[in-house]
Amino acid sequence: MHQTPHNVTAELEEGAIRLRVDREIYPLPAIYGASYVFIDRCFVFLERDGEGRVVVTLQARDPNPAEEALRALVGEFSNELLSCAWRHQITAENRHLIEAVTSQALAGAMGPPSLDDLASFDFTSDGFEDPLGIAQSWEEKHGRKNKAQEAGAAGAGEEEGGR
Amino acid sequence: MSRIDLRQLRLDPRAPAFFRWREVGEHVVVTNLEGRYLLLSLDEFKRFAEGQVEAGSPLHQRLDEANLLRASYRVEEAAAALRRRKSFLQGGGVSLGILVVTLRCNETCVYCHASRANMEAVQTDMSLETAEKAVDLLLSTTSPSITIEFQGGEPLVNFAAVQRVIEAAKAKNQAIGKRLEFTMVTNLALMDEEKLGYLLDNHVQICTSIDGPEKLHNAQRKLPTGDAHQRAVRWIKEINHRYEAMGLDPTLYHVEALLTTTRETLPLWKEVVDTYVGLGCRALFLRPIDPFGFAERTRLRVEYPRSQYMEFYRRAVDYMIELNKQGVEILERYAAIFLTKILGGEDPNFLDLRSPAGTGIGQMAVNYDGEVFTCDEGRMLHEMGDDTFLLGHVDTHRYRELVGHETVRAAVIASNLDGQPDCTNCAYNPYCGTVPANNHKTAGSMFGRMRESAICAVHKGIQDYLFEKLATADAETRAILERWTTHRPREHFIQGL
Amino acid sequence: MMTLRFSRALYAGEAVDEALGAFAHLVTAERSATAEAWELRLTCLYPAHTRRIVGELGNYALARTIERGGAL
Repeated sequence: MHQTPHNVTAELEEGAIRLRVDREIYPLPAIYGASYVFIDRCFVFLERDGEGRVVVTLQARDPNPAEEALRALVGEFSNELLSCAWRHQITAENRHLIEAVTSQALAGAMGPPSLDDLASFDFTSDGFEDPLGIAQSWEEKHGRKNKAQEAGAAGAGEEEGGR
Repeated sequence: MSRIDLRQLRLDPRAPAFFRWREVGEHVVVTNLEGRYLLLSLDEFKRFAEGQVEAGSPLHQRLDEANLLRASYRVEEAAAALRRRKSFLQGGGVSLGILVVTLRCNETCVYCHASRANMEAVQTDMSLETAEKAVDLLLSTTSPSITIEFQGGEPLVNFAAVQRVIEAAKAKNQAIGKRLEFTMVTNLALMDEEKLGYLLDNHVQICTSIDGPEKLHNAQRKLPTGDAHQRAVRWIKEINHRYEAMGLDPTLYHVEALLTTTRETLPLWKEVVDTYVGLGCRALFLRPIDPFGFAERTRLRVEYPRSQYMEFYRRAVDYMIELNKQGVEILERYAAIFLTKILGGEDPNFLDLRSPAGTGIGQMAVNYDGEVFTCDEGRMLHEMGDDTFLLGHVDTHRYRELVGHETVRAAVIASNLDGQPDCTNCAYNPYCGTVPANNHKTAGSMFGRMRESAICAVHKGIQDYLFEKLATADAETRAILERWTTHRPREHFIQGL
Repeated sequence: MMTLRFSRALYAGEAVDEALGAFAHLVTAERSATAEAWELRLTCLYPAHTRRIVGELGNYALARTIERGGAL
């Protein structure tokens, strides 16, 4: 067992390190954020344990990594996790300020659409693709769902998975 | 170690307006939301934070003037100050277009690998067709002003593309009427009378690289003839002489030089400053080395701990201030940028030092093959095999598509200091900035982690130094620092004026 | 043959499908679903590279999940 604070515990196994992350302290978007930063350095797998924690497995790309390198990953990942968790909180708190500055910066730089831009614009009323969830509010994107919504989502997932 | 014990401090949330603070030397820097600052003694800070400042006292008056008191907080004044500070967002747009007209370079520099190719690699020259398309793209900017910067490689190697860009841009701008400027960053070794005549006739600003005294410069920037420094110096003197002959004010019009600070530079702070002063330069930009463009083995040879860099910086700038007291006009560019924000309440729109950064919304880089990047750092990452900052191509993408690219949106959000851990609480938040490409390279994400960021350490270190100076400066030093914030436009370089 | 389980609470079903599509030239797979997880029974077409292929497939599914804004 690698020595880390109680809210993140890490175990070394063959060629990989497993971290158990307390979701009370590190919300899921923070775990996703930190994991995303590591996918070019490691193979990253997420699981849930029976106690509500998320188990993050960081598997070295090198099949025979030095133990020291794996241990370094724990520290590095923990730092990124903390940074993402704090950013998650700050973003929620400063959302209006960040949105105002971002939209002004982008709108100012892009300017109004030209006739060429409008020629290729989709004027149909169909929904548009929004893979990053830019058009969603924070609550829609990351907020907790009520039980009815969760049940609905699980049902939808069942169908999707059965394709 | 902090001399303020937060456990002992009984903060009164009703008295101070929103503030951030940082201990600097014997003082505490306090800044408010809109970037006004005060330097307080420890005792004054304690009284301020605890709401123990007597109304009508001199300290109360200072706090009130700096808009740091909740009871008398002037919202409209704050909003106006904030708008002024973020004025680069109003009618913004790409104001710097970097054109890499070739990767070929005649010099081999110890710190540059990914950004150059050997002289026979003609396939890395920008075609004339691509040059014209790059002009069309850059002049589509929403910004009323645009500087086209020729870079390489060595841009003099593909002078035909430089000429085509200048001619196409000037012709196209006739109908558009933007404030159009051209800048060339060249090592000058391939300069000749014909090229110089063309550049001067077309009002192209010329910048070069000087790594310091001759021995250091020639050791780091290698020519087969071993005389890179001598060649650069010869042309700097010639160009400055020509400017004077044209009747231009030599204090304003002279070759600008850029320094790359390597480990070898650090002990030579005095020699570096003397070299620049000797060449007639009025500004020196003491930038630490970037993490781009060189192999890991090279990095270990040229890199250095940031504490060593800060010692170098302090010594060099102290010396520059002393020279100013003796009547020599030389300023440090980092200090000038920060001081303009701190003392002037304005943002000089230096694209790497603003929030959000200029990545993709204030600058773009067009590579020799027409690929477009958010910035030159993003272009260098591409040469190292990482396409994160690749936005598109001049053949297939319009300006608006490139600026609206999801990578640009991500970079704008990532470089907003109000969403950045550490920066949200930092006293220097109103004056600072972060570079997404640098964060991506060093920490694996555009956000980076400021506590581990070398750039953050440098920015904090420089601002600590400047606030220490402001806290202790005599009238003469203060006047010098204020003079460094003076911006004198170089109208000669604006096309058509 | 090996089984990969992707928790429904952590991975989007569409993202797992996309990953499988992207790696179809490297693996054959049988898909199934339980109440808790999307399951893939995988056979790598290049057994010597199983570790890497499975790792990359996992990264792909995770990245696409995150890019979609999460599992749900």
